[in-house]
Amino acid sequence: MRRPRPLGLRAGVTVSFTLGATALATLAALGTHAVTREYLLTQREETAVRQAFVDASSVRDGLRTSGVTVADVLGAVAPPTGSELLVRRDGRWYSGSLQVGGDDVPAALSEAVASGTAGVTWARVDGRAAVAVGVPLPGVDAQFYEITLTEELDDTLVAVRNALAAFALSTAVGGALLGAWASRRAVAPLHAVARTAASIAGGELDSRLPPTADPDLATIVGSFNSMVDALEEQIQREVRFSADVSHELRSPLTTLVTSVALLQRRRDELPARSQQVLDLVGRELDRFQHTLDDLLELARLEAGTTGRPRARTGAVDLARQALDGSGRPHVPVRADEADRAGAQVDVDAQQLARALVNLFDNADRHGEGLVEVGVQRAGDRVRFLVDDAGPGVPVGERQRVFERFARAGSRGSLPGSGLGLSLVAETVRAHDGTVRCAASPRGGARFVVELPAARAVEPAGAEGTATAGGGRA
Amino acid sequence: MSTRVLVLDDDDGIRTSLTLALEDEGYLVTGCASAEEALTAVADGAQPDVLVVDLMLGGIDGFTFIRRARPLCDAPVIVLSARQDKSDIVAALEAGADDYVTKPFDLGELFARLRALRRRAEGAAAAEDAVVLDSVDGPLVLDAAAGTVRRGDEQLHLTVTEFRLLRELAGAPGRVLSRRTLLERVWDRGFFGDERIVDVHVRRLRTKVEADPSAPRLVTTVRGLGYRLDRR
Repeated sequence: MRRPRPLGLRAGVTVSFTLGATALATLAALGTHAVTREYLLTQREETAVRQAFVDASSVRDGLRTSGVTVADVLGAVAPPTGSELLVRRDGRWYSGSLQVGGDDVPAALSEAVASGTAGVTWARVDGRAAVAVGVPLPGVDAQFYEITLTEELDDTLVAVRNALAAFALSTAVGGALLGAWASRRAVAPLHAVARTAASIAGGELDSRLPPTADPDLATIVGSFNSMVDALEEQIQREVRFSADVSHELRSPLTTLVTSVALLQRRRDELPARSQQVLDLVGRELDRFQHTLDDLLELARLEAGTTGRPRARTGAVDLARQALDGSGRPHVPVRADEADRAGAQVDVDAQQLARALVNLFDNADRHGEGLVEVGVQRAGDRVRFLVDDAGPGVPVGERQRVFERFARAGSRGSLPGSGLGLSLVAETVRAHDGTVRCAASPRGGARFVVELPAARAVEPAGAEGTATAGGGRA
Repeated sequence: MSTRVLVLDDDDGIRTSLTLALEDEGYLVTGCASAEEALTAVADGAQPDVLVVDLMLGGIDGFTFIRRARPLCDAPVIVLSARQDKSDIVAALEAGADDYVTKPFDLGELFARLRALRRRAEGAAAAEDAVVLDSVDGPLVLDAAAGTVRRGDEQLHLTVTEFRLLRELAGAPGRVLSRRTLLERVWDRGFFGDERIVDVHVRRLRTKVEADPSAPRLVTTVRGLGYRLDRR
């Protein structure tokens, strides 16, 4: 089963604030409503009871007068608007209006009143709420009832309910907004950290977080900045070291290389044994020079300091030029007709061609010769396939060959620097591509370089070489 | 007559081995250990055909030396750079260098560069008719036979490489020449040559032949392709 994605920090805070505000507001609204309702109902009941006793005494006084009918008495008493009077005498109901009758008096109330106790109760008349008050009139052998419709009370309660609901809703919305604001504020320093980290990763090593007076943030800012300081210092040290190595090694190496070349030009003047020794020195010097070059190039690639402007290049042309430029004009480039024109990449052509040549050298050194180079377009990727005639690379070794100084089946007579394939991997990686070792259909090794295909629009700065003249070097 | 080469490098080992190697190849070598010494030699009338200059020197550095030596002689300059920093190479080209090799260089490579520069210098003297390149702001006349470029009565001071570059561009008026092509024809460099050499030299050429170098009309950049000379 798939686990749901956890909420983000900000979403979490916002949701918590919203839920909390909603719960509190609902509770407050319900409480307020209950108290208000209770108070209003009690008030209304008390008023109704007071009015009923006043009216009851008028009715009783009227009934004491001899020769007067109940109807006459009821007609004489004027109850307040919304109140209706009822009298029961000798089992008969007399009503002050046509709107209410004996049926409207709740049975429980009339029983209580009949047994001599006054009472009050809530009832419904024609579906409307009403207070019914019953008063026994023992002196005149009658029972008095007053029913008061409480429509205005219902209206009030509805208004209160609506107001409270609106209050609860706006509180919930307010909670959500507050949560969103609070979380945004709390997370804001993290954005600054993320931005700074991104610009550092992008090569701007002197980016730092601005100092802050906020005691909650000072620790984070301080340790972040000192971490970057340490990182920058380390990188600078490495850059300095590689520059020092470069300079300190290159001068003596130049003298050595030049002197050995000089000796080789006078080879014929040397005795046979010395010639042998000279060849040995020459070969090892060559290898030393190669390794140093590759190591320094690798260091440059890793430090990301080689960034030359990229230019749109046809993949087939690039492969062809790399082959011709490295003295392999006889090796064919295989590609479909569509790919010949369509497969284009945005690259530092020189750097990439050098990587391809490294693969060719590798094929010649370890794969019994380069056979063919292929170019394919696969969706939004462009592939270079470099096939050799060797026995192939065992599956277990295919990852390892890209490691530094990893030699798969080294051939002593043709020593490489041991860094060629690492250089390929680094170069391809710098171009957002991948390189892997597979098997060619003919049984040899096949190295596959995969790069993002050039998008339809020419990238900005493709002409940088013409106008900036390496200003970005 | 042998070609005279001035070698400027403060590293004794490199200077000595280079001198020996160049002499073996038949060059006439003057070795200098400092820029001051080399400037004196040039000022005193040692007219080298090619200068081989190290950039990192005690005292006056290679960049300054090239800038100061330029008015004294327009012989091609090859820079020896031990630095891996590519911006140094551009700075050296801007200062007036014609080409470069990075240490440790292959002797064969250095000889090839020297030969290319020499061929260039000699090729420039081949007989060709004088061509009017610009009659609007000019007239600007390229006289290949005399090896000169004139604007009106004034002779422009072009280095040998700048002259060769202009001649190549003028040889195909209205046609775009890619950096790669120019690199092959003028510098004799193959696929792995540094195209920035072309850019820097075109820029320098423009300061001498364009009326307004910041808005070039004679030698124009064709975005993504190369450069083109339009006769006017």
